[in-house]
Amino acid sequence: MIKLIGAAIIILATTWAGFEAAKHLALRPKQLRQIKLALQSLEAEIMYGQTPLQDAARKLSKLVPMPLSLFFESFSSLLSSGNTTVKQAWEESLERVWGLMALKQGEFEILVQFGETLGRHDRHHQQKQILLTLTHLEREEAEAIDRQLKYEKMMKSLGFLSGLLLTLLLL
Amino acid sequence: MGIDVDIIFKIAGVGIVVAFIHTILDQVGKKEYAQWVTLFGFIYILFMVASIIEDLFQKIKSVFLFQ
Repeated sequence: MIKLIGAAIIILATTWAGFEAAKHLALRPKQLRQIKLALQSLEAEIMYGQTPLQDAARKLSKLVPMPLSLFFESFSSLLSSGNTTVKQAWEESLERVWGLMALKQGEFEILVQFGETLGRHDRHHQQKQILLTLTHLEREEAEAIDRQLKYEKMMKSLGFLSGLLLTLLLL
Repeated sequence: MGIDVDIIFKIAGVGIVVAFIHTILDQVGKKEYAQWVTLFGFIYILFMVASIIEDLFQKIKSVFLFQ
């Protein structure tokens, strides 16, 4: 009896781990889409609204969903505190929320590079930079979707099967 | 006799699960992992069978050498 309960717990745990890994894979394209959307809104704020960067960031933090909104919130508050450059504030808030995101090093570099250009040029130059970043992110998103399609199912079934194997080995 | 049937079922179960994992890993193109999984499953079963064979030899010894 106790053996059966143990086996059930092991299988449950590994299956859960598999689903968690699959969720992580599904989260990456979703968050990339959210970042793209946020950058497009930022472009609109800069081009048509001519909003100051910290106000634009605060607006964006209300617009975008959870982990990303934290990033814009921290960016905006760091800018309003006033004793950092835009680049430093961008990088620091990026590092702050990075643990919550399901993204990879490549996206981090892209966003850091974008942060370096932020607020240093005129509007049209800024728009070009945003478009460039969007293109980079699009490439990453395509790759992320590819990976999701390939590995999501594998992670789920592999979790369950490895649990089954483990219980069989321990039986 | 009961314990023998148990072990046969266990070997069959490990074989089936390893075969499943092998096919899944093969399908997504992780051939090298698939081969490692199969190899480890095989080695595990081999050890199990070896211990059973050893039991058999001990029994034969005890029957024919009258220890």
